[in-house]
Amino acid sequence: MSCGYEEELTAYVDEELPPARRAEVEAHLGGCSGCRGTEALLRRTMEQLAGLPEFSPSPDTRREVLAKVEALPLPLRERLLALLRPAVLVPAASLAAAAGLALYATAPSEPDLDVLDAGTLELAMNLEVVEDYDVVGLDRSEDLEVVAHLHELEEVQ
Amino acid sequence: MPRNFSGAVGFDVSVEADSDAQMMLKVAAGDRRAFAILFDRYHTSVARFAFRFVGDRERAEELTQDIFVKLYRNAKSYRPAAKFKTFLFRVAANHCLNEVRRGEYRVAHTTTSEREEEEGGGVELAGPEGERPDQALAAREMERAVGEALKAMSERERAAFTMCRFEGMAYREIAEALEASEAAVKSLIHRATLAVAKKLEELQAGPVPVRSRA
Repeated sequence: MSCGYEEELTAYVDEELPPARRAEVEAHLGGCSGCRGTEALLRRTMEQLAGLPEFSPSPDTRREVLAKVEALPLPLRERLLALLRPAVLVPAASLAAAAGLALYATAPSEPDLDVLDAGTLELAMNLEVVEDYDVVGLDRSEDLEVVAHLHELEEVQ
Repeated sequence: MPRNFSGAVGFDVSVEADSDAQMMLKVAAGDRRAFAILFDRYHTSVARFAFRFVGDRERAEELTQDIFVKLYRNAKSYRPAAKFKTFLFRVAANHCLNEVRRGEYRVAHTTTSEREEEEGGGVELAGPEGERPDQALAAREMERAVGEALKAMSERERAAFTMCRFEGMAYREIAEALEASEAAVKSLIHRATLAVAKKLEELQAGPVPVRSRA
């Protein structure tokens, strides 16, 4: 099979040749029995490949991959962004405001900041930043977990 | 499509492609549910590619896990300008090529077939339901012949052939996945297809008769 068109035959069968080249190959096939034989062999092979047994991965693969991904720590940026969502901050700020009012109403002296949760204060301090973010919704356990460990994130920084 | 495409999926490809890109952007933002959706859509394709590449079921599944974890970790490098499947197969091909070159995953097509026979012919691959025993045997022999041909070809030929014949990818997509020119991919696929064709012809011709000593 030393014909110059032989290299084109697989792409021809795969319909990967540009129209002009395809027309050239078609014209050539009419007069070249060697290339016609190769074309037939390629087509036969492709049909046979369709009959190979199917490979199906184990259902365990899904569980294992998702567990591995779940075990990866979220990047710090994503954790902080999650905290800065209005859906987190608005309730937290409301809570902080309510707590502040309660302290003001019940204590004539300066409110004792130690009674407020450190995480809530952190959220309240970032209220200006919060306004720049879209509302996404707090519906994942990871978000709640990050909220609960805000002070640890602060230490890491 | 004339090439063998066993990765048929029941959805509109163009719509799904757009959706893939959106999902991948969500994955880049840390959305694990979006990752699970992409995994469900594509893990069979990736596992099939890995299986054809290394010729061993267990190794293929390990590689599939590695590839998807790598995809998750590197989701931020995805740009929607690239078709998601092409991006995924670039990750998959690079990972398989690197692992094989590192020697960690020896290509074991023939070994697998021999082991299956030793274990009582328990084929790991699922044939069509209701297949007759002679058909099952023929399919197993063809599987072995294709495995031998895959093992004998270069890694890039094997990767290009597998993406083309088993995943139905276009030459242009394969070129992007392998970071090669389309002309190079055309040549890789041609050589690989002819090699497989030759093996299958040998199989059909049957064993060479042993010459009588008399």
